[in-house]
Amino acid sequence: MLGMRHTYLWFAQLVTGALIAMFLGIHMVIMHLEDILGFFGVEIHEPTSWGSMIERAGKGSWLAFYILFLAFVLYHGLNGLRGILLELTPSAKVERIINWAIIALGIIAFALGTYVPVALFQG
Amino acid sequence: MARRQVKENYLGWRGWVWAGRYQAERYLYLLHRITGLGLVLYLMLHLCVMTVFRIQGQDVYETIMRLFDNPVFKAGEYLIFAAFIYHALNGLRLILQELGFILGKPTPPVYPYKDSLRKKRPIVLAMIAVVLIFVLVVLFDFVNGGF
Repeated sequence: MLGMRHTYLWFAQLVTGALIAMFLGIHMVIMHLEDILGFFGVEIHEPTSWGSMIERAGKGSWLAFYILFLAFVLYHGLNGLRGILLELTPSAKVERIINWAIIALGIIAFALGTYVPVALFQG
Repeated sequence: MARRQVKENYLGWRGWVWAGRYQAERYLYLLHRITGLGLVLYLMLHLCVMTVFRIQGQDVYETIMRLFDNPVFKAGEYLIFAAFIYHALNGLRLILQELGFILGKPTPPVYPYKDSLRKKRPIVLAMIAVVLIFVLVVLFDFVNGGF
């Protein structure tokens, strides 16, 4: 099983990549493309304003969206970064250090990134 | 001997920028890597900003958002958007390629050979065209919204 580890990690990289294309696509269109959304009849006013942000933060569906999104993005980004860093050295010892550093960074970032949306959701 | 072989085939960081005998795809790969690193860096900054300042309430949040509301940051946001478009579409191409959907049926190696890079060249060009269209549409929206 352990020998297949890289295959599973890489497959997860592909799956999260495809999911992020959708999640980040939605995020970017809502946050930046007001004119194009308006063309299709969707009116969003100042999505980055406090009021608009609080309105989204109160909805369970957005909370789930952002937590899933964060998990996919952190996995994909940090596993990608890990792959690049591991090309720097063939040393197994350095590989272990990089792996644990990446896992620690991911856990810290996930904890930080979920804390605020959950706190805002609870009010 | 085995150890020396590893050294000889090991390009190190030079392999990041030098395509050698490889074709155009190697430079798409390089751009995929650069945009990927840029997006990870932005993700970390974005997470820090949205965590540290948002939890302090409306006043701090609005002050920091006003700080970002200038042409330099808007241009930066546009670059992030463009990097995302390229990384997503090139990534989609790589997924389809890796799973074998766009490589075509295997053919017997009869002269004149047609390698897989040449077979999928139209798909690569189509991907680049779609990236350019999206990048221009988003540029239009950014400029229209007032830089």
